[in-house]
Amino acid sequence: MDATMLQSLLVSIAFLASLGLVLAALLVLAEKKILNYGPCDIDINAGEKKLTVQGGSSLLSSLAENDLFIPSACGGRGSCAYCKVKVLEGGGVIGPVEEPYLSPAERKDHVRLSCQVKVRTPIKIEVPRELFSVKRFKGVLERKRSLTHDILELRIRLSAPPAIDFIAGQYVQLESAEYRGRESVMRAYSISSLPSEKTHIELVIRKVPDGICTTWIFELLKEGQRVEFSGPYGEFHLSDTQAPIIFIAGGSGMAPIYGMLRHMRETGNTRTAVYYFGARQQNDLFYLDELRTLEKELPSFSFTPVLSKEPDDSGWNGERGLVTQMVQKYVPDTSKHEAYLCGSPGMIDASVKVLADNGMPTENIFYDKFS
Amino acid sequence: MKQSPKESPKNFEASKFSGDGFLGSDQRPVDEIIAHDARTLDQAGIPLAQLAAALETAYLASRDALGAPAETAPEVIGEFEESRGRLPCPFRGCGVFEKGEAVLTDRRTNDTLIITALGIHLIKKHGFFQGSGSRYRIDPLKAAKILRII
Repeated sequence: MDATMLQSLLVSIAFLASLGLVLAALLVLAEKKILNYGPCDIDINAGEKKLTVQGGSSLLSSLAENDLFIPSACGGRGSCAYCKVKVLEGGGVIGPVEEPYLSPAERKDHVRLSCQVKVRTPIKIEVPRELFSVKRFKGVLERKRSLTHDILELRIRLSAPPAIDFIAGQYVQLESAEYRGRESVMRAYSISSLPSEKTHIELVIRKVPDGICTTWIFELLKEGQRVEFSGPYGEFHLSDTQAPIIFIAGGSGMAPIYGMLRHMRETGNTRTAVYYFGARQQNDLFYLDELRTLEKELPSFSFTPVLSKEPDDSGWNGERGLVTQMVQKYVPDTSKHEAYLCGSPGMIDASVKVLADNGMPTENIFYDKFS
Repeated sequence: MKQSPKESPKNFEASKFSGDGFLGSDQRPVDEIIAHDARTLDQAGIPLAQLAAALETAYLASRDALGAPAETAPEVIGEFEESRGRLPCPFRGCGVFEKGEAVLTDRRTNDTLIITALGIHLIKKHGFFQGSGSRYRIDPLKAAKILRII
């Protein structure tokens, strides 16, 4: 190939690439400016709530503009798969970005990623009712204290809105600031404080190695600093029955269980409850005094910390092993109980198996899985 | 292993999900990292599928020990650090993977290896062991030694 031919080839490639870019830009422009979808109605939960939005935007952003916040960690890029909602009518076809995140059962059930659904026509959707009460909050970090070598507690005073309504067991999505070139991110943390204390929330947070949000929280966030979060989210909360309870948690999974127990004390709930908390060593345990106090103040509650890696000669007189072994040892028949679990997927999976093996119907097992 | 399509290099940089990205200090393109590690495995006579399966076994053994130390191979101890949330694959279109990491320690050499669900997927499906300097890089030969394959 001589130099002239090579030059012609390069010019042609450059021309085609430029043409492609121009066409793509025109398509984006047309989508935004020329195509006018006009106002579109969004019908939520069969008429429970109706919105009219300007067509053309994503369902996620259209809902957020109307103060209906669907959980999302990636900011609408179609990569976290948190923002799932049911789209019953008008969402168009499932796009290639969504496809890998939807199981066959979800597709059959009309589940979509709301960040990938464009509102271009009237649309009917279904979302969990609890999302109606989700708001964005601004607050000030009032207290930050270490609970263990890798777990801390944040106490946030709300400023706008000044109060929050939530149910013990729910979580919020805390927004980190940008730092050291890292983007601002949203991460989920369970609330450990009492629902009656509406002006504050407390969170229990475990340090994630190299975690974007927890590095910011542990190393940079200072008392007195402004923080933002949205919430409350989640369907993990105590039922209204009188069934005896088995609580199982590990690490920062303590947060929602501790909140539920404090709420039980405040509301005079007399249900029988046992709590198995798994940790490696004594220095991983926290809230021990508070839980011993709850043992005295709740009519029928016992707390059992279980250590899996405590040295034999440490003088520890408590239980050793795994939380699942405690269930096998102390609650051989779980058929009349309800269970509330919070922790890693491994712990939840193992606990669900033991509880079911011991007779607990799976519909009586409630959990907040760290996934 | 499925041949991975050309991906945007941006997917491998620091993002909302990966604080430091997947390449660490490695300046090479992803394809080159994949090719280099494939050659290394080839020369050592280790099938990628065998290594990926061994990584998965060690990861699950550590994960299912619920925080207690698990002996994943002779004198190799795995401990699991739980973490809330999910991570998407940088190759896109593969779904999301649970966070949490199994830290394997070889008691003979004190070498450590960090295995995640996403890390296993990246190797199994894309042959991508991540870039040098990345906290989550699984060096093929080091992994093979810690997993007692060689």
